[in-house]
Amino acid sequence: MYGVEAISINNGWAISVVGVSIVFTGLMLLSLSISRLHKILNIWDNRNDLKIFRKKTQEEPQNNLLPFTEKNKISAYHFRLLIKTMDDPFSLQRLLYLAKISGLDRPHSNLCRLIKAGIIKSDHKGKYFFNREAFNKLAS
Amino acid sequence: METLFLDFFHNTGFFLCDYRNIIMILVGMLFIYLGIAKDYEPLLLVPIGFGMLMGNIPVFKGLGLGIYENNSVLHYLYLGVTQGIYPPLIFLGIGAMTDFSTLLARPVLMLLGAAAQAGIFITFLGALALGFTPHEAASIGIIGGADGPTAIFLTAKLAPTLIGPIAVAAYSYMALVPVIQPPIMRLLTSRKERLIRMEEPREVTKREKMLFPIVAFLLCCFLAPAALPLLGMLCFGNLLKEAVVTERLAVAARTSIIDSVTILLGVTVGASTQGDVFLTTKSVGIFFLGALSFCIATACGLMFAKFMNLFLKEKINPLLGAAGVSAVPDSARVVQVVGQREDPTNFLLMHAMAPNISGVIGSAIAAGVLWSFMS
Repeated sequence: MYGVEAISINNGWAISVVGVSIVFTGLMLLSLSISRLHKILNIWDNRNDLKIFRKKTQEEPQNNLLPFTEKNKISAYHFRLLIKTMDDPFSLQRLLYLAKISGLDRPHSNLCRLIKAGIIKSDHKGKYFFNREAFNKLAS
Repeated sequence: METLFLDFFHNTGFFLCDYRNIIMILVGMLFIYLGIAKDYEPLLLVPIGFGMLMGNIPVFKGLGLGIYENNSVLHYLYLGVTQGIYPPLIFLGIGAMTDFSTLLARPVLMLLGAAAQAGIFITFLGALALGFTPHEAASIGIIGGADGPTAIFLTAKLAPTLIGPIAVAAYSYMALVPVIQPPIMRLLTSRKERLIRMEEPREVTKREKMLFPIVAFLLCCFLAPAALPLLGMLCFGNLLKEAVVTERLAVAARTSIIDSVTILLGVTVGASTQGDVFLTTKSVGIFFLGALSFCIATACGLMFAKFMNLFLKEKINPLLGAAGVSAVPDSARVVQVVGQREDPTNFLLMHAMAPNISGVIGSAIAAGVLWSFMS
């Protein structure tokens, strides 16, 4: 058998079209990926400049914190008194409740400041404890 | 005593000689001449040419001397061809001596290597139309890849009886790249196009070069797993070269291993061209289609380069398209020569290496694809 008939019977058209497409796709994918290779390596080299790769230090919150005013110091003192009445470690929710019913000024904001300053610290089990050292340093 | 003398005479080559052996011996001598005097691929043409002389010494059948006799030494050496062992080893050496920098610097040139592979599939259709079986047609089409080892590898898998003519055709056309390609290049490009200068490629880091063989291997072999033996060895060889710490292995791959395998491959392929097996109408068809395949591949590369120029801001010299056929580095050299005929200060060689190398990868993928379709 010869000619177009031979090509059709042996599925030649389909083999050729699919074959060329696969070769093109393969080299095009390779071309695309290697054109990005140096950029990926560049990003990897400068990974320390990227936010997602930057290590968070514990000092950072304290450094960003404004110095305690007299008002803040008084508020910290009041919270210390309330914590003394509680178990150690204590529930933050309970402390906030006590602060509210005791009529402390802006309890949410002040409690947040104490946490940021490291005066009230998490025990990573859902409870908190009072950091005397930080209190003496920042609020006494 | 007279009988003994006559018996001996009946076993000599002079008595057993056939006109076909004489023709093939002359062809072998032509190959040796082209290799030595004209410097056309001497590393291939000289072993193949001498192999032709060895294969066409008329021998008494049954003595275990001919390459097609099961217990002959040549037959054992030929197993490396028929079992597809030599081509991947040659690819290992090619990988260990190839620098992929130009490809990494301008990956878009890779598409020219892909375009030139269209010649393989067009010739496949032509071979089918001329009455070859699909397996034979696929083996003939791959000649257009201009990659001898790939052509031998695929033919060994699909049409082992055609290894001789296909290998000789593939290597002959590879050697004749400087003769075949320039007229097509001049025909399909204008002087203005041939004068286009390419931008200096960017510098490529060592890490990019090291990552490339791994990325290329994984990507291409996941897409066309049948290309594994060829691409795997090519990329492995290149990783040995670029890794630096494996320099000894890379040196072995690009010197002793590839040289030994080239000798064995060349001599056995040459010896497989015994006049009575080789000189058939099929061989004539294969040579005709092989030449056609090579010309179509060159033309496809050139035309695709011109097509790309319609969209690219920085135009590429369309001559680079001709380097998409994977005769490394001859077709890249031809691009340089043709380009410099128009402008002696235009250096295209390093740019042409990019499509040239991608042509090697492309023809290996094409061979893998054809093999998987046929098996």
